[in-house]
Amino acid sequence: MHYKEQKIRFVLYWLSVLVFLMGLPSILSYALGYKFNTRTLRFTKTGLIALKSQPAGANIYFEKKLFKDKTPATINELLPGAYHIKVALEDYYPWVMQVAVEAGKVARFEKIILFPIRPNIEKLSNESSLSFWIDDKRDSIYYVSQENNSIYKSELDTQDYRKVSDFPHGVSAPIKWRLSPDGEKLLCFDLHQLLLVPLRPQSTAASGETKVLPLDVMQGTIVDVFWHSDSYHIIVVTDKNIEALEAMRSSKPVTLVSLNKNSTCAFYDVRADILYFLDSQLAGDGKIYDNIYRLDLNSRFDPFRELMKLRTNGQGQKVKKNP
Amino acid sequence: MDRDRRLRRILEVIPGSISWGIILSLVILAVLKPVACAVIIIIFDFYWIIRTAYLTTLLVMAYHKLFGQRDRDWLAQCRALPPERNWQRLYHLVIFPAYQEKPQTLRPSLEALKQSTYPKEKMIVVLAFEERDPQARANAGILEAEFKRDFFGFLTTFHPDGLAGEGRTKGANATWAAKKAKEFIGSKGIRYEEVIISCFDADTCAENNYFACLSYHFLTSPKPHQASYQPIPVYNNNIWQAPSFARIVEISASFCQMIESMRLEKFVTFSSHSMSFKTLVDIGYWPVNMVSDDSVIYWKAYLFYKGEYRVVPLYVTVSMDVAYSSSFFKTIIKQYRQKRRWAWGVENFPFLVTGFLCDREIAVVKKIRRGFHLLESHVTWAVWAIIVVFIGPLPILVGGAFFNQMTIGYNLPKITGLLFHFTLFTSLTWIILSRTILPSRPREIGWTKNILMIAEWAIVPFIILVLGSTPALDAQTRLMLGKYMPFNPTAKKE
Repeated sequence: MHYKEQKIRFVLYWLSVLVFLMGLPSILSYALGYKFNTRTLRFTKTGLIALKSQPAGANIYFEKKLFKDKTPATINELLPGAYHIKVALEDYYPWVMQVAVEAGKVARFEKIILFPIRPNIEKLSNESSLSFWIDDKRDSIYYVSQENNSIYKSELDTQDYRKVSDFPHGVSAPIKWRLSPDGEKLLCFDLHQLLLVPLRPQSTAASGETKVLPLDVMQGTIVDVFWHSDSYHIIVVTDKNIEALEAMRSSKPVTLVSLNKNSTCAFYDVRADILYFLDSQLAGDGKIYDNIYRLDLNSRFDPFRELMKLRTNGQGQKVKKNP
Repeated sequence: MDRDRRLRRILEVIPGSISWGIILSLVILAVLKPVACAVIIIIFDFYWIIRTAYLTTLLVMAYHKLFGQRDRDWLAQCRALPPERNWQRLYHLVIFPAYQEKPQTLRPSLEALKQSTYPKEKMIVVLAFEERDPQARANAGILEAEFKRDFFGFLTTFHPDGLAGEGRTKGANATWAAKKAKEFIGSKGIRYEEVIISCFDADTCAENNYFACLSYHFLTSPKPHQASYQPIPVYNNNIWQAPSFARIVEISASFCQMIESMRLEKFVTFSSHSMSFKTLVDIGYWPVNMVSDDSVIYWKAYLFYKGEYRVVPLYVTVSMDVAYSSSFFKTIIKQYRQKRRWAWGVENFPFLVTGFLCDREIAVVKKIRRGFHLLESHVTWAVWAIIVVFIGPLPILVGGAFFNQMTIGYNLPKITGLLFHFTLFTSLTWIILSRTILPSRPREIGWTKNILMIAEWAIVPFIILVLGSTPALDAQTRLMLGKYMPFNPTAKKE
């Protein structure tokens, strides 16, 4: 009984060895890109082209002939040289490339985007819009209606607009918008004026009209405005200085930095509450250099807290710049 | 350090250093020569898949034998034997070494003996307790009162703690019990040649025809004293109650043992098994200071009989408990420790090679073959999952832009992915077979558990990750560093 089974096992064992020994050269030569030439009886090192497109399922034309597979696909066992590749899908612009293939290497084209011939454009607003803004979370869109001077809000994936605020007559068109991190206030500003628009529906319910608050800016032309992460403080960069003020009527701005450079630019990192800006400095060699500075406005950072306290006295303080 | 001790230390270092050498070489190769590493990985993966397919075929053959012999009336076959092979002269001595096991663990094992088709007046049962267990005498009293009258002999022994030259191992306890049983057997005037000893774990429930099957094979085997008799261990006692993770691990362990039963030239005793009592006495019982007593007893007999010793597979089952605990994490720890203890069988390698070096009669080719098999099986156990799971993706991860622009860099994940798709067929076979070795579902378990027991095979990759190679590598590293493992019995139920 055992003898018979051991005999079967013996056959199975050697069959496995045979499969291994015969299969391994094929697998390894495929992996390494070798192709057996039946005419010369030699292995030739080849390369391959890997194609992936967005959207997938596009036809591949290899040397102007339709390839058997659609994208994503691999064209194997190619002798070194240049090949004409076209990836085409109906209603999309084709992707065409002359691809150079090297022995033992892969030419990867795995980020092909096929752009539609007729772009899929969808109208999102029904009224004439003056301007629009998408919040940082990318889930709401706001727009100002030119006809009735109102601000509307909708989810990005619907057209269900609802009025969130009035926009008073007589105010010139804002050049930029800044939505507060908590999504409850909107800052509109141009070169000379800064307006605070509350977006909470209840603020309109009581009076029937949204109170748009013009905020005071000390001096100069507004370059940029940013919300502090607390959604309460506003950082205003003008061509003369950097100011901080509270989002409320009659808030007195505090000068954080007096700028030497008229045409500065600034970036505010709201996650860390750090302002990066450009300014000029007179160096020891008598020359003026433009440098990038950072101003930490994190509420845990003492200078900012102290500055905010000073606001009540209407005093400003210049932050020492670190060159 | 004397010469023998130095030699032993060198041999202890070999398995671990080979395993670590393979792993580290592949890691270094992946960084320095990713293409070469990828080639080795493809060769290994292909080898592993062919091997898995081959072993699964053996599993199907073993399964076929197991179920082909399931309903056989072994006692009738014993009766049909010629008078010179008189089965009635045989006595079965069954030893249950126990430490901290409660009566409720031992009771089902003794009940299973009572249910045996083999005459109980031909059975001697020894409950081998450890004297250091404070509950031992009370537990012995309870079980003695329940079972003493059911068998020809029923002994309870208490192995003293701290005997010179002994470790706290199961082998030491079993040896003490076997010596006590020898006194009993001698007092009854029974010849040692007519006694077959079975050393069972405390939770081992033997199938009712186990002893008849064992007697038949003993009586019909050429040189019956030069063989151990190995049943198929299954973990059916609590398999329906055990959590998925533990269940899959133990089913896989049963399958591995079924596969081994088909590879007779490599077959070694494992867990609960039987052998001639005369042989046990002749070879000087189980080693009293080694953890892997179940396998080392085979090698001891192999060396004693100069290579003319074998393991006869018995296609009957002995059922044990699945080791699990109160939480998933504790179950993983428990399973890990159990597998590490099994992997500690690597201590057989220095034992065997030292024995081979002292021997002048076993053929050199035989020595090399058996020594290599033992070493290869432990090294493969310690590296395979690490190569497949961790080193496989390494060339892609650390090979950088150079490797990724190579054809092999592109093809490696495709080829390995494709190769392992073939293992789905073998997995399907394992799933089907796992259903067939299950005992019938207890009434308190809902039928939906059947669905779970198929779906749970999806966690096999996680099991491979956790228990594939790491327990074996751990055991080999400990042996390599001389951090010897104490015997920690696995408490099966918590």
